[in-house]
Amino acid sequence: MSDNTNNNRMFTIWQTAAAITVGAQIEKTEGADGPVLDVAHLTKSFGTKTILDDLSFHIKSGEIFGLLGPNGAGKTTMIRIILDIIKSDNGSVKMFGKLFDEAFKERIGYLPEERGLYQKITVFECLKYFANLKNLKNPGDRIDFWLGKVGLIDHKKSRVSELSKGMQQKIQLVAAFIHDPDILILDEPFSGLDPVNTKIVKDIMLDLKRDGKTIILSTHQMDQAERMCDRILMINHGKKVLYGTLDQIKADYRESPVMVVEYEGDLKSIDGVTGMEDYGRYAELGLEMGTDPQDVLKNLMESVKLRRFEMKSPSLNEIFIEVVNDA
Amino acid sequence: MMHKTLVVAKHEFLATVKTKGFILSLILPFVILLPVMFTSGYVMQIATQSPQNIGFVDETGILQPDGVFTRFEDVGDAKNALLNDEINSFLTIPPDYLETGRVVMYGTGGFFSSAPTGLVEAFMINNLLRDSGVDEAMGDRIRCPVEVEQITLDESGEVEEKQEVRFLIPYVVAILMMLSIMTTSGYLMQGIVAEKENKTVEILLSSLSPEELLTGKLIGFGSAGLLQMCVWICSGTLMISLTSLTAVFQEIQISLIMILAIPYFILGYLLFAGSMACVAAPASTMKDAQQGAMIFTMLGILPIMLLGVIIAAPDSVVARVLTYIPYTAPATTLMRITLTSVSVYEIAASLLILTVSVIVVIKLSARIFRSAILMSGKKIRIRDIPGYLKR
Repeated sequence: MSDNTNNNRMFTIWQTAAAITVGAQIEKTEGADGPVLDVAHLTKSFGTKTILDDLSFHIKSGEIFGLLGPNGAGKTTMIRIILDIIKSDNGSVKMFGKLFDEAFKERIGYLPEERGLYQKITVFECLKYFANLKNLKNPGDRIDFWLGKVGLIDHKKSRVSELSKGMQQKIQLVAAFIHDPDILILDEPFSGLDPVNTKIVKDIMLDLKRDGKTIILSTHQMDQAERMCDRILMINHGKKVLYGTLDQIKADYRESPVMVVEYEGDLKSIDGVTGMEDYGRYAELGLEMGTDPQDVLKNLMESVKLRRFEMKSPSLNEIFIEVVNDA
Repeated sequence: MMHKTLVVAKHEFLATVKTKGFILSLILPFVILLPVMFTSGYVMQIATQSPQNIGFVDETGILQPDGVFTRFEDVGDAKNALLNDEINSFLTIPPDYLETGRVVMYGTGGFFSSAPTGLVEAFMINNLLRDSGVDEAMGDRIRCPVEVEQITLDESGEVEEKQEVRFLIPYVVAILMMLSIMTTSGYLMQGIVAEKENKTVEILLSSLSPEELLTGKLIGFGSAGLLQMCVWICSGTLMISLTSLTAVFQEIQISLIMILAIPYFILGYLLFAGSMACVAAPASTMKDAQQGAMIFTMLGILPIMLLGVIIAAPDSVVARVLTYIPYTAPATTLMRITLTSVSVYEIAASLLILTVSVIVVIKLSARIFRSAILMSGKKIRIRDIPGYLKR
């Protein structure tokens, strides 16, 4: 109980300190609403195969930015270029308004898709090593706090090899933000986690967002991306295929709006409806562009008894599948 | 960014010196190697000093038996005696011996057995001289024409006395140095492959550059190797000082060996470790890396394999050439300086070539490391190396 109290106190102090630090950094470098990451005309090939093809986008401060795409789309290559692990053939990456240099690595936390930790050392030694590499000299308190937060404080002195796969994944997640980075790049953070741990990780991400951190979320889990991301970038074969807020993307994606109704009675043709899929008690009505759904609703109420109606928008998952299949 | 390099170095150093393998490696050379070397010397001494009883079948009629050599009338009798262990071996002297000098030696083999050539030669000379009319003094000179007393002068022209045990020093120094270099660069190779296998390398590279990571590893593992060498040297010196071997070793230029051992160890380690990094970075498994490292391992142990040639002729072309080949220079040079006067120019040239090679290999390994460290599922192919260097 007292551990939790201490942890909460520490967290509050860090939240305040982090907010001040981040605020100061943002003000100093790019202004409150400027991009923290600006990628311009990025191109990368391996041999004759083009992995990234003239890719440009930017990420705003404090947002959760979804990076989506099928396997082999070039997401991991792009992340590695952003982190300067590999070099691009052309294009530039600016962070906080400046071209990338090694010092920026201390302001980024990274959870790679391929998970791995040193198995023969303790959890504490492992996290301390990663923290030291991020220039955090005395990480003991932070390690205690985050291990408490993910429910692994009792395993602090356990060997990593003694932990379950899910526990190791949480340790790796802690390693990504142990040094209080401004930008977090999380590649498939929910992969392999049970629902309880998925919720813990999701809550931590939202806490970090509230603290002003910018999160780049690369995932195949479209439902998570749809619920959490402020904006998304979808790439396929190294090219940008979708980019913007979820509302923008959905609005741009559907040529005409669709209304779903559940009803009792006899459904007849209605003005403003161009197509209808009627199942007797359920129907999907394709509305003509510019038609006001309220007018359609009024007409419907005159002919049938409505039990439910809603404007149907395509899910991100549907858009993803359609875009990938079209390509 | 030196801080991060040192963080990696410290991590690798502590991770290495805490392993059971490393702790055992500090003790094992003294527990196993030295007793084996002393025992093998003792066994050889026993083998050469064991009593001999040799038979002969003389078809020339000029030989007389003595305390060691026993006459047999025909080959059949001699064979029976040999098979019944009554004699160690026997020889037949054909009728045309005086024209050809040829004799045939029969023996039963065995682990320590060897043809008693020296005894047979002395026996034949004695018999040939017996009726030749040569006086006793001349006969002695023919039996033993020279008694060589070798005198070595030091740089000031003073007589430098050395004992026979000196052959032991290059042997021990070369083996221990190469053992340490190969073990330490092997640890580096294992470390690189392990981080690829356990997928931690990508996290590391998100914190520091591939060059910083490689440099940190080189320093960390190198420090562990240097510690290993220092422990061996200190323990060896302590052992010698506490035993009767002190008197034997005190005339030998131990200080020169120790002074040169450090730069040769450091440069040798960097060369081998850099080479191992070149094969470890693209490798997916330890087995792949070990196959790639085989060529460097073979080059490293070449001077040990040619130990006999180097000891017999430390100034020969072979020994000199090995002094200049970077991969064989550390062991060869250290062996040679204990056996002969190697000129300062030779040592300087050897160190210079080694240093230049180290610079080239480290730069090469850094480039290969950067472009190949994140690759997986590929076998190491020489034809891919230009591609790694271009990326």
